[in-house]
Amino acid sequence: MNKKSKTTFYVFVSLFSLVFVELLYLSYAKTLSKDSLDKKIDFIKLAQLPDLAISTESSYIRHRSLSTIGSIYKDDGSLREYFPSTFAISPSHTINKENQ
Amino acid sequence: MKNKINIYLIEYAINAILRQKYKSIFITTIFTLLVFLLSSIFFITNSIKYELNSTVDALPEIIVQKVKAGRHYDMDGDSIDSILSISGVSDAVARVWGYYYFENAGVNFSIVGVDSYEKQYKDSLANIVEKFDLESDKPSMIIGSGVRDVMNQNYYKDYFNFIKPDGTLKRVEIAGVFDGDTNLESNDMIVMSKDLVRDIFDIAESKASDIVVKVPNPDEVPTVVSKIKILYPDSRIITSEDLKVSYQNIFDYKSGVFLALFVVSLFTFFIIIYDKASGLSSEEKKEIGVLKAIGWRVDDVMKEKFYEAFIISFFAYTLGVALALAFVYIFQAPILQNIFIGYSQLKTNFELPFILDIQTLFLVFFLSVPIYIAATIIPSWRVATLEADEVIR
Repeated sequence: MNKKSKTTFYVFVSLFSLVFVELLYLSYAKTLSKDSLDKKIDFIKLAQLPDLAISTESSYIRHRSLSTIGSIYKDDGSLREYFPSTFAISPSHTINKENQ
Repeated sequence: MKNKINIYLIEYAINAILRQKYKSIFITTIFTLLVFLLSSIFFITNSIKYELNSTVDALPEIIVQKVKAGRHYDMDGDSIDSILSISGVSDAVARVWGYYYFENAGVNFSIVGVDSYEKQYKDSLANIVEKFDLESDKPSMIIGSGVRDVMNQNYYKDYFNFIKPDGTLKRVEIAGVFDGDTNLESNDMIVMSKDLVRDIFDIAESKASDIVVKVPNPDEVPTVVSKIKILYPDSRIITSEDLKVSYQNIFDYKSGVFLALFVVSLFTFFIIIYDKASGLSSEEKKEIGVLKAIGWRVDDVMKEKFYEAFIISFFAYTLGVALALAFVYIFQAPILQNIFIGYSQLKTNFELPFILDIQTLFLVFFLSVPIYIAATIIPSWRVATLEADEVIR
């Protein structure tokens, strides 16, 4: 093996160790802990409402699972999607379940 | 031992990469960026889906809403008795909840009423509420941290004045703030007693927003659903099974930002592929011709080209994944996160939970590495099968 091959080999080894160390660190520090999961479940049991508060602009995105057929038209009759979050989050597919 | 990896071919491949330094650096950069972008988006969506799915089982099995003229209407509270008489139903609760638009800040709060939350839920409340303080008899509420921030900005530190439909004010004390760990769920929520919610929204005592039904045996849910449907044909029934199905495609890959991102990144990638596949430069052709003239076989040339493409693409793939992991989970995806949050005034401060999804890694791998390798090998093969003197000439 010449010098360049060795360098390439070391570059790959260090890349792999970087990914490995990252995965170890993340699974240790950033995984959803039992404690916070319990808190979330406690809260959901209290409020009994589904969906996440990541986007609260419109009701059919905030509680998308509970939105009705009319919720999308409520804000604008022409179904103009002027909330940016609707570009990423789709309306609930339970709305027109029968038609699918 | 013909199948043994030829280390000299690998050395030659490394030298070939270094000979075309700028081209290699350019391709590696684009490739890394593409892998980084794709895997970042997949990581974010996976985490959000994981978050949704880990709490969906805590929800009641069935939610019954009344739909009239295509809109959600308040239900009659009496419906509970007939739903409770269906066998298999262990509990049914009439809920009162709604959205309160706070005009000063331009944000929506979700207000939920619970049955005398002071007594029943005290234990679990103590677990999820920071600074719990509930000694007075005054009307009080518990708010999410996003709501607290908005109220603080508008100088409501200890109480909030709700404007009722008739224009009068209703003063409600802030009794506590939900724990930061529940931010993703509780950020815009206000929890108070049902009577208070009825008062603020002017909902009559006999009415309810919707009814939640608990069915302990999951096999009985479809039967209970059809019975409720017969009892109340105007109702819309959502089961927790429906929720799970709807979470499968919560992110709309078919339209909007996702399409734009995919198109841009795939387009960039295909430019590289096109550039590679549309033919080799005369210099590269000459190189293959010389190699053939000094005795290399076609498969030697192809092996060398394979090593070359593999080293570049695999290096870029690994680097892209490493960067994406750090970007999404350590730095919490600074700009990309906004795609999911939108421009909502009530910003959520949340940490994406880490979840390792091998499928995503494979998906991104097979979308990028084999395509690149094929785009490198096929034109080389075309040249390598020609006669050496024809190529050099």
